Order: sequence, then C-alpha cells, then structure tokens
Amino acid sequence: MNSFQTDAIKRRAFLGQGVSGLGLVALNSLLSPGVLNAQSNTADKRSLGAINPLHFAPKAKRVIYLYQAGGPSHLETFDYKPALAKLDGQGMPESFTKGQQLAQLQGKQLKCFAPQFGFKRFGNCGAEICELFPEIGSVADELCIVRSVWSEQINHDTAHMFMNTGSIIAGRPSMGSWLFYGLGSDSQDLPGFIVMLSQGRGGQMQPVSARQWSAGFLPSRFQGIKLNSFGDPVMYIDNPHGIDKPLQHASIETIAALDQKRYKTVQDPEILTRIAQYEMAFRMQSSVPELVDMSKEPAHVLEAYGAKPGDGSYASNCLLARRLAERGVRFIQLYHRDWDHHEQVKNGIQFKAEEVDKPTGALIRDLKERGMLDDTLIIFGGEFGRTPMSQSGTGRDHHIKTFSYAFAGGGFKRGLTYGASDELGYAAVDKPVSIHDLHATILRTLGINDKRMTVKYSGLDARLSGVGNQGDVVTDLLA
Amino acid sequence: MTAIRIVALSVLPLMAFGQQVSFDRDIRPIMSDTCFRCHGPDASSRMANMRLDLREEALTPKRNGTPIVPGDPEHSEIIQRIFAKDGRVMPPPFAHKELTANQKETIRQWVAQGAKYEIHWSYAPVKRPPVPNSAASSAAGPSAVGPIDAFVQAHLTQEGLKPSSEADRRTLVRRVTLDLTGLAPTPAETAAFVSDHSPGAYEKLVDRLLASPAYAEKQAVRWLDAVRYADTAGYHSDSPRPAWPYRDYVLQAFRDNKPFDVFTREQLAGDLMPDATVEQKIASAYNRMGRTSAEGGVQPKEYLAKYGAERVRTLSTNWLGSTMACSECHNHKFDPILTKDFYAMKAFFADVKEKGLVPDFGPDAFAPKMPVYQPGQKKRIEALKQRIQDEKSELDRKAGSLAEERRAWQKEVLAQAHAGRLTWKFPIPAAVSAKSAKLSVQSGDLDEGEQRAHPNVITTGGAGLVIVSGPNPDNETYSVTLKPGAGVWTSLGVEVDTGPGLPGADISRGADRFVISEVDALISPNGRDAARKTPFVFAYSTVSPTTGFPAMAVLDGNSKTGFGIVGRAKSPFLILRFAQPLQTTAGSTLTVRLHQDSDYRQATIGRFRVALSSGTYSWENNPKPKPEKTEASQDESEADSPIPAGLPRNLIKALERPEPERSAEQTEVIRDYFEYSAPQLFPARLALAKLETDQSLLEGAVAEVMVTESVEPRETRLLPRGNWMDDSGDILQPAIPEFLGHLNTSGGRATRLDLANWLVSPDNPLTARVYMNRMWSQFFGTGLSKTVEDLGSQGEWPSHPELLEWLAAEFMNPQYDTAGTHPWDTRHMVRLIVLSSTYRQSSLSSPELDQRDPENRLLARQSRFRVDAESVHDLMLQISGLLVNKFGGPSVNPYQPEGYLAALNFPKRGWSASRNDDLYRRGVYTFWQRTFLHPTMMNFDAPTREECAVNRINSNTPLQALDLLNDPTFVEAARVFGVRILRSGGGNLTSQVQWAFQQATGRQPENDEARILTDLHAKSLAHFKADPSGTAEYLKIGDSPLPSGVKPAELAAMTNVARVIMNLHEVITRD
Repeated sequence: MNSFQTDAIKRRAFLGQGVSGLGLVALNSLLSPGVLNAQSNTADKRSLGAINPLHFAPKAKRVIYLYQAGGPSHLETFDYKPALAKLDGQGMPESFTKGQQLAQLQGKQLKCFAPQFGFKRFGNCGAEICELFPEIGSVADELCIVRSVWSEQINHDTAHMFMNTGSIIAGRPSMGSWLFYGLGSDSQDLPGFIVMLSQGRGGQMQPVSARQWSAGFLPSRFQGIKLNSFGDPVMYIDNPHGIDKPLQHASIETIAALDQKRYKTVQDPEILTRIAQYEMAFRMQSSVPELVDMSKEPAHVLEAYGAKPGDGSYASNCLLARRLAERGVRFIQLYHRDWDHHEQVKNGIQFKAEEVDKPTGALIRDLKERGMLDDTLIIFGGEFGRTPMSQSGTGRDHHIKTFSYAFAGGGFKRGLTYGASDELGYAAVDKPVSIHDLHATILRTLGINDKRMTVKYSGLDARLSGVGNQGDVVTDLLA
Repeated sequence: MTAIRIVALSVLPLMAFGQQVSFDRDIRPIMSDTCFRCHGPDASSRMANMRLDLREEALTPKRNGTPIVPGDPEHSEIIQRIFAKDGRVMPPPFAHKELTANQKETIRQWVAQGAKYEIHWSYAPVKRPPVPNSAASSAAGPSAVGPIDAFVQAHLTQEGLKPSSEADRRTLVRRVTLDLTGLAPTPAETAAFVSDHSPGAYEKLVDRLLASPAYAEKQAVRWLDAVRYADTAGYHSDSPRPAWPYRDYVLQAFRDNKPFDVFTREQLAGDLMPDATVEQKIASAYNRMGRTSAEGGVQPKEYLAKYGAERVRTLSTNWLGSTMACSECHNHKFDPILTKDFYAMKAFFADVKEKGLVPDFGPDAFAPKMPVYQPGQKKRIEALKQRIQDEKSELDRKAGSLAEERRAWQKEVLAQAHAGRLTWKFPIPAAVSAKSAKLSVQSGDLDEGEQRAHPNVITTGGAGLVIVSGPNPDNETYSVTLKPGAGVWTSLGVEVDTGPGLPGADISRGADRFVISEVDALISPNGRDAARKTPFVFAYSTVSPTTGFPAMAVLDGNSKTGFGIVGRAKSPFLILRFAQPLQTTAGSTLTVRLHQDSDYRQATIGRFRVALSSGTYSWENNPKPKPEKTEASQDESEADSPIPAGLPRNLIKALERPEPERSAEQTEVIRDYFEYSAPQLFPARLALAKLETDQSLLEGAVAEVMVTESVEPRETRLLPRGNWMDDSGDILQPAIPEFLGHLNTSGGRATRLDLANWLVSPDNPLTARVYMNRMWSQFFGTGLSKTVEDLGSQGEWPSHPELLEWLAAEFMNPQYDTAGTHPWDTRHMVRLIVLSSTYRQSSLSSPELDQRDPENRLLARQSRFRVDAESVHDLMLQISGLLVNKFGGPSVNPYQPEGYLAALNFPKRGWSASRNDDLYRRGVYTFWQRTFLHPTMMNFDAPTREECAVNRINSNTPLQALDLLNDPTFVEAARVFGVRILRSGGGNLTSQVQWAFQQATGRQPENDEARILTDLHAKSLAHFKADPSGTAEYLKIGDSPLPSGVKPAELAAMTNVARVIMNLHEVITRD
C-alpha cells in the first residue's frame, strides 16, 4: 500500500519551501522544522526529508552518479588481469564457465581474450588503472575502487533496473527517488533528483528507459527530472512563444489569486499545495536556464572538463553536475551510453576513455578544490561488466559475476582498492559485493540505515537494499 | 453482548479500553506487521520454532514456555516478551519494529479474553450481511437512504457524527459527470439539471450518463491499468506492438455492460471457449499484455520465467487482491501462500504459446496475432485476392507460352549485364533544393564515422549522395536537378540511404517510417525551355515496402498514399519506369521531385541518391561489395569476384547456372525477373501490380492484435528462491492456492478456463470483494480498505466491513433494485453507489471533522480529488471545443516534445503527432509507450503499465504546472477556447470573462474573480499589442487553423485569459 495520498504533512514539508516567491500565501505553518534550518552541518542528523532525524550523522550530503551505461569492461578499466593475457586465444577453462549464465555467447566456443590495454600504477596508493584513463588515475588517491561487484541480471534493461532500484519488478523507486524522499532537497528552485544522458561515438547505444529514474510507488514529485541538452532543458520549461517572463509571472499570479479565492471557499489544503507548485514551476523557469547557461564559467574550467556548453556531451554534463551539486540538488545521475562492446572492445574503450576520462578527473578535482568532495559522493560504474572470453574475436559479452566500481568522496575511503576477482577476471572471489550491499553502503554514508528506510508497499516493508536480510553495509569501504 | 455487536461495526483502528478484541480486526494486523516474519507461515524463516498465526501451534508449550495461554496473559510467553524491558524483548531491536503501548495492551486483552482466532476476513466466504435498520439513521440522512447509506450512517451514528447535506446541484452534476464519463457537464447540461426539480431528476441524469459511450471511455481506464494494457513491448527497445483492438474490447465491454464473470472468462481464456468468437479471441490478448523483450542475448528460459511470474502477479493483484508475488522466492511471510502455490498458479499459463525472445519486427513480430477486420474489409480483400490469383495465373500462363523467348532473353540479359549496360548511373546533381530543409550534395569521401553510420551506400566521393539537414518540417518536397548528358533512359532510381546517422528510426528525419508520397520528373530537352512532366508507368522497390505503403502509390496521384517502410530496413532502391524511354541531349536537364505529403510528420528521407538506367532490364542496384571475409562467414561462394551492377547477385548466379542445375529458388527468381522485365508480359504485370497495390493499401488499414494460442503446456517447475537456472524443484500441475481450495477437473489438467470459472464462482471469496473495494475507491478517492492491491493479512481492515461484504454479495447476485440487472453487474453497482446519499453529500469539511477524521474514512462527507491524467487532457480539449468524440480505433499521438524518445534505440524513435481529428481524441486513446509514457500521462500520475497497477497516486507537482501552462496541446486549446470566448461570450470583456469561467468551471465567477481576470486581460492585451511578431508566434501554436477576421492582439490576450482559467485548481478537481 502507500499512504501518500493522505500524508499531507510530509508532502507539504517539501512543497512549502520558498513560498514567498510570489508573495501570495504564507505556508509557514506547514513547513517542517527541518526546512527552516536548511543550513545544517554534516555532524547534524537533521534532515529535510522523510527520515528525520537521520539514523547516523551523514558523511555525504549528495550524490553524483556517473552511470556508464552498456556494461563497461572491468578488464579494460579497473581490473588488471595479466594471467588472462597469457591465455589469449586459448579455450576458457571450463572450470570457470560450466553451468554459468551467458548472454550472446550462448552455445558459442569460449576463448580467452587478453586485456586490450596495459595498466599503470597511479597515485601514492599505487592503484592499478588502465593506461587509457590517466586523468582518473591522477586522482587515484581520492578513489575507492571495488573490484568485486556482482549482479544478478545479464540483460541491459533488467540489469539497469536492478542497479537502480534493487529489484527487477517495475514499480519500485530508483535510488535517486529514495534519497530525495528520505533526505529532501536543499534546493529551493530545482528538483531534488536530476538525470542527464549523453551519447558516445561508437554506435553501441543501448536504450535507457525512464523507469530507471522513476519514483515507483513513491509520489511522482520524487522522480528524476531529465535535463535535456537539446530543446527545452526540462520539458515545458520554456514559455509558449510570445509570452515573456513578466506576462508568465502575471499569469501565474492570477492563477494563484483565483486558487486562493477558491481556497477561502472550500478550505481544501490541496489548493495551497497547488499554488506552491506553480510558484516552484515559475522559479524553475528561471533557475533552469540559469543553471544550464555555462557562459559565465571561466575558460580554464571549461577547458579542464573539455566541456563545450550546449553540446550535450558527457563533459558538459559533468560540469552541469557540479553546478547542480552547488545548487543543492540531492541526487544527480549522468548516463553515458555506448559501453556495450560486443565487438571491437579495443576501439570502443578507447572512444569511451576519450569521452569520460578527462571530465571525470576534472569533476573530482574541481569538487575537491571547492571543498565539496568531502560531502559529495561520486559513483562511477555501470550495470554489469564484460566477459574475459571474446565475442566474435574482438569484443566481450555481458558479464555479471564480477565487475568494478569506483567511488570518490562522500565518506568513502581514499586510495583504496577493495576486493578481487579470480585470476582471469571471471568471478568475484575476494570480498564479493552484491548490488544490495552497494545500496546499503551508499545509504549508510548518507546517514541512513537501509533496513529502516522502508515504505509499506503491497504488504511489504519495501526497501532499496532488497528484502529480508539482504544488503550488508561494507564498512571497510567507509572512512 | 449488544455492546460487542456494536463494536464489530467500529471503524476506529484503536481499541477503546474494555471492549472485546477481535483477532481479525485488531490482532492480526499487529502480528502480521511485527511477528509473522519470524513466527508466521514461512517455515524457512521461522525462529525458535514458534508459530503465532495458527492457534493450535501458539497454544503448544515450547521449551521457553507456552506462547499463549488463553485467559492467562501473565503466563503467556508472548505477553512476557512484548512487555520485557531487557534483551528478551520482542520484537527484537534488530527487527526495527516496535509495538506501541496501545498495541501491547490490545494483545494482552485479547489473550485475557481467551485468545480467540478468526479466519482472515477476506478469505471467509462472502455472506450477505443484514442491512442495518435504516429507519433509525435515515432521520439523519439528507435524502432517500438505501442500503449503502444505512451501513455508512449506522456507523456515523455510533461515532456521534452526522452525514453532510447533499452537495449543491451544480457541484453534484459536475461530480457525477466527471466520475462516470471523465468529462465535465456542458453548461447546458448543468443548467438543465440545476433547474430540474422533478423527483427523478438525478436518477435520470445518472442513467443518461451510464448509457453514454463516454462512460465506457472513463471506466475502462482503471481496468486498462490493471491488465497492463500498452501499445509497446516494455523491455529494452520497447517497440510498438499490435494491441489496441484489445483496448477496444475492454471499452466495448464497459459500454455493453458485459457481466464481469463473462468479462473475466473471456480475457483469461477466451481462446479456450467452445467455438471462440473473434471477440473472445481478442479478449484473450489479456494473457499477452505483459512486457516482453527482444534484446539480443536474452536467455529464453529466463524470460519465460519472467513472463510467467508477471502473469501470476497480475492475476493475483487484479482478481485476488493478493500479494502472491512474494511467494516467487519463498513462502509468504504473512499470508498462507506457499511457493508451490505461486508456481502452480503459473502453470495455468504454461499453454500460452510464446517465446522468451519475442521478435519485435518482421512477419513473426509478436506472434501469434490475428487480423481484426472492420465490416466489409475482409470481403473486399478476399475479392481482391481472388482477382490477383487470376491475374497471376494469367501472367504465368503467358510467361509459360514464351519458353523460346525466355531462353533468348536469358542470354541477352546476361550479355547486357556483363557488358555493363544494366548499370545504374548516379549523375552528380547539378542543383538541389527543398521547401525549407537544406539539401547538399556530398562531394568528397565520407569520413570514417559517417561511413560506419551508413554502411549501406557507396560512400566514396562523387557518388551523388544528397544529404538533408537544417529545418525539419512535417511535409517536404525535394528537388534534384540532373544533367545526365546524351542518352536514352528507361528508368529512374531512388536509393534511400538508411542508417543510425538519421534522427528518426534510422530511416527518416523524424518519424518511425519514411514515406515518399509522389515522385515526378520534369524534363527540359535543352536545359533552357520550360520543363514538362515525363510520366512513369511502373514503380518497384527492391526492399518489400510495409503493407499499406506500396511502391506504386508514388504514381497514383494521391498525396496521402505513398511508398514507405515502417521501422527499419536496409537502404531500399525504388525503381520508376518511364512511360516512354526518355531521350536526353548534352544540354538536357531532368528535375526529379520527391514529395512527402502524407499525414506522417517528418517521415522524410534524410539521405538519398538519384539514378538513371538505360538498360531495358535494369533491376536492383547492386549492393555495395561484400566486406572482407570474417570468421563468421561460412559461405565460400560469397567471396568471389565482383558481379556486374544492375542485377542482384543471386539472379546473376541463377542465370549463369545451366538450367537443369538450378534450384527451385533460382528458377523462381528468374521467373520473377522475367515477368518483371519481358516487354511482352508488361501489360499483365502492370495490371497485377495495380491489384497488389490496392491489396496493400487495403490490408494496411486492417488492424492486428496479439492473441493467446493454446499449445502443449510447458513443464512448470517450482523454482527454488525464484532461480530460473535451478531445475531441482518439483514439477507442478496448475492449481489455485491450497488454502483457497482446489479445482475439481475430474482428474484432467486444469486449464485457464477452469481458473477463470473459479475466480468468478461463489467458492472464491476474493474477486467480488477486491473489485468492489476498487470500485468504491473510484467514487470516494479511497477504498473501503485503502490497500486496494492487498486484502490479505498486511492489508488494511476495511473501514466498513459489512458494507464491503454487502457490495460483494450484491455484485455477485443482485437482490436490491434488481430490475434489468444480472449477476456480476458492474453498471448496477456503479449506479447503486452514485445514487446513494453518501455519494451525493457535500465534500465541504469542517475543522472539527478534519480533526476527527482527517482522511474522511467515516464518510461524513464526500472527498475531493484531482481527476485522472486522461481527464486532465480531455477536459482541456472539451473546454476548448477541440475534443473529438469518436469511440475506439487505433491509438493516437498528441504533440510530444521533440527528442523525448531519444534514449530509445533498436530502432531509434521519432514521434509523429497525429493529424486532424486524431490530435484531439480522448486520453484513453493516447499511444501508451511504456518506457517513455506521454509526458501528460506521466506528469499526472498515470502508471506506465509495465506492471499491473490498481491504484493511482494523486500527486501535485511543479511539472504538472509547467505542463498545463506550456504544453502546446493546452496552449492550442486555450487559443481555440479564446476564439469561442470572443465569438460567444457576449459583447464586452466582463461578459466574455464570465462566460469563459462558466464554461470551464460550471459556475459563474464572483465579481472579484471576474475582475482579477479582466485585469490580466488588460495586461495581456498591452503586451501583445506591443509585440505583433510575438503575438503571431503565440497564435501559431498547434495545428488548428486560425479563423479569419480575428484581431491578433485581442485573440492572444483572450487566449492568455483562457490559459489561466484552464490552469485553475478547480477545473481539474472533482469536488
């Protein structure tokens, strides 16, 4: 079940923010105390969302999830396997693969396929990272690399859903929605959960469904709002042609004035909520264009990211992510597509490295320089990894038994490489981390006990981190 | 004991001190939430070997003590533990479940009172309760009191509350019209009802509404949510699939008030019914509505497991109000549902013919499916097929009589091919132009990325490739002027280049298809004189066009029909034969015009080449030479030397092979080509082509729908922990959950029909309760149990259990006001509800009532809520006057922001908004794209229908505001409304504003409300007068034409006033 229709107080806690914008209604009585004390420090457990107080003092206050969609090869990014190189072209030992799940390699001959690039040691911590990623390597001492993540879903659609919602049944909230719901938003005029998509040059563009940022059974105001690089940055954010800002303002004021009169007659608090929503909409009409206008960013910043404003690239989205983080957005998720290298993994990874290495490194450095890395958690990874076996001689198939994730900031340890796959990079053997564990750990650093952030749904205390006892916090990853 | 009976009617969830505790109402909800996870039905997670959901077990002494000693709380282990202050406390801290003091006390009292257990209310057989004596309560009621009111008012009386008075008539007519039809009453309808004081006026109104098609369009919506009806596959590429005839089946069922038991049977098992009708087969599409995947690398077994599990979830939620989904991996923690029950339920569907990887294009896409003919369609097609058969026989006969000629022809063709005389020439266009798009001719080589993106065309420089960029209008005409030099030309070719470089579906500049509606060619013999048309007689495509888009349609003079391909295809080559060979000299210019004037927006090709051939026999342009041999290539013969262009490779091979050695396929190819190119056969071939064109156009208009086809049932195993790779589980036969009984099938395997029959039999306690509870929520905003998806242990104890019980009994077997009713009569129940005085109450609350009953569960008033997403859309169109009332038919595409589907792929997707009437249809007909639901639907809380959804959240967000303010659908509606206001609203601004307000809300505005609007009008008018070009832009939004004679600034100002009125909370709220 859901109890949101009648959950008036919580609803208004969010909606009531900044109602003075149009100066028509004062909703102070509906504000939760948390909203009035938005300037909390990290040691504080107060929150603006449904989890208030938080279960723990949070280390991270917001998340930037750099989602590498398509299934990045761990073997050409973070998981160095010299033993696999030695077996290149030879049959994959059956001891690894017998009875295991395969995607497109079903019924095919399985041959080992060497890592296509060398690895280097980076930073004082000496993290091993593929040589194609020197910029990410340059911030290796900020990184917490996990080499032993595993998933249960081997096809893109369901794997995305599992990674984002902890379930493969549609209708569950995504991670961003959970966090927006639990923590509220620090932004007065932007949504708390923003999604951006960018495309790669390699032509391996797997579809990504809006389900991946759905609020599921949570109210739809917690859904991710997609920020577009072309057309309206947010759907219907631009006034109709011929209507300028003052006239739009006057029109919204008129709506509010009439709604207010109606409220006097029927005393339905829902009307006040609607008035607040129109105010928020109007503020977004200013704040979103201001947000996406990067013309005032200094040239050296644009250069550092490799961003060309308006090009919709991953680089521009990384810079936008920083701007969103500065503006208090709780959860920022970038999808970079084109990691599905069934063929030509060598070219493919090179393309991806050219697209993501520099901006990712720049984002981490930029946040650090601005003192924001400590309370911003950066997550870098995709929905699964790729087979140590070749596909059509040049590529790699989907793989779920092990793959890699990297974290930076937000209370994660720095300069750590954690867990390990076997010598051929087939399965996580040392300290395997499930998706549920990953979710529990991410929630933990944000001050939430994953077992206690529940919502009744279909007779269940639904959680992000699975059911029953699923989801262990990997405390070794946390500082 | 009288006190006890009264308590049983109580709605209050909290026990008043000293009252009799009911296990079912008071104890089970607490225990289910806090105890059963470890001490409930699931043995695998049971702790301390203690089980509390069964009395016998709970009374059995254990090592630590006896869990429950009836009448003796002090010696009951559970009481000691829940009150414990130390580490022995239950529930333990790690469970994160705490009992309140009140809950603990309730459990203690229950044990003290003897710890009586009861069967969970919804699992007990439905038993019609007596209607409370209404004489006592009717005095309090506002009007005639029926059974529903008797139950509600009896309860209110106990609570010391009174029902509200009846809503004012204007509110009432608006409420009941919105609830029953999803539309607002017209001002005339409102006025008629307000002034009709005859005793039966309201009943008359209700009966009129119940009989309208709009009733079906509204009531179908929630059912479509539940049966997860959508127009696309759902997983991954989320491709369109043939589904809408099933949506129409549901609409018709509500229109015709099909008994719910029949409705149930037809959907689950229409295909199994004796002599199944077309309608019943369409209904069986229900079983096919789940999401399917066409993602490469899908393991069929895994996805068949997913599809089967989804069917169990939908069935159990929709009919049983049960969370059986939990039992996919383990026995249910709260309800007595076992894992084997889940898989035994799944086994009912093991006969549904399907694949794990469900193809989403090609002839087998979404098979099995069935054509659905409109009246007369089938007959005409059959007749045409017969004529085609005759014409084919005639052509074959003629071809057969030309054996000699054919042998000579074969030699001639080969000779011409080898001499290169069949080769197509691709002159570099001398000039290119379009109405608004930008055309350019590729001069040098394509860069590497472009080559990769367009693997299907020759990509070296000077190939004559025309690339389109710039503005992308809905319709367009490309002109390409060639200077072919001296020659005699028999045919013109248009090579359509497709590939991932194009925005829409890899095939066009925007839509999911390309269409070339007409092609013409203009020749100026010396390049100076005015050009004249040189006609074509025949058109042919090397890639089969999509049914409904035949090649010959480019010559039919009809700009709405055309040659086209929907979805994806590799660079088709369109051949147009000149009526007479075309002679050119060195100075001649030939201008070729490609028109796209069809109703599909932006279905324009994005890259193409124009070619000429002088060979009598030129056929297909030879595809690009094969790429280097790869590991995967098995066929050695594929890699041999180049073959002369102008004929397809397989044809040349066939011709080169001595006749006796040819395969049947090769003989067929040669015959085909002979009939195509032999001049003697041309008249017959042309006649045939015309008939085939007619057939394609006719068949293109025939709908298809996925259906259920029953095959030998697949083996169904219990999957331990839901793991599809684990084959160790038992093989299961179809069965209903054990605790609900079993089906008697005389030893035979139970079928979907048996299941359906059971669902609507008196033996099943759930279906009627579940459906009535949901129906109630539609008319009061909340179900009698608010957990409409779960009436099991974790569900909410109903606010009015007897009322729900009575409704369920009445639904199955009407006994009240029975004239014209039948068992399982949906309309009867809707009618009873909306005729009740409970329904007719005012929705106004008071501070006192808000305090007492903030959620309005006692129903001392009506509720207020925003209308459904579909109705938001419908109301705006209705107010404007744009709404087109047409019942049923293919789904339609309202405007949608460009690029909204950009994250889809395989193929890429564009969105072509419908034209004309189809732009203004009701929301129930909006194309349901599951992964990217239409923004208005999404913003206003329609579910994506990826899963069964029986509840809609009603949210209130800034995106809704932006949508209503700025979405072109609504801005256009405001403009059209603005025109009506100026025309019909009377002579002055005040009367116009009053009229407009009345149209949208059904009431006259107060004076100050009108003044607020006239103030805005003044501001708007000043703004638009100062900005004529902006005004013109504003009035250009939307397809509907601007009437002549309007003053732009005046209309724009009134449009803005209209837009504001349409954004009022009141307009989208049902009070």
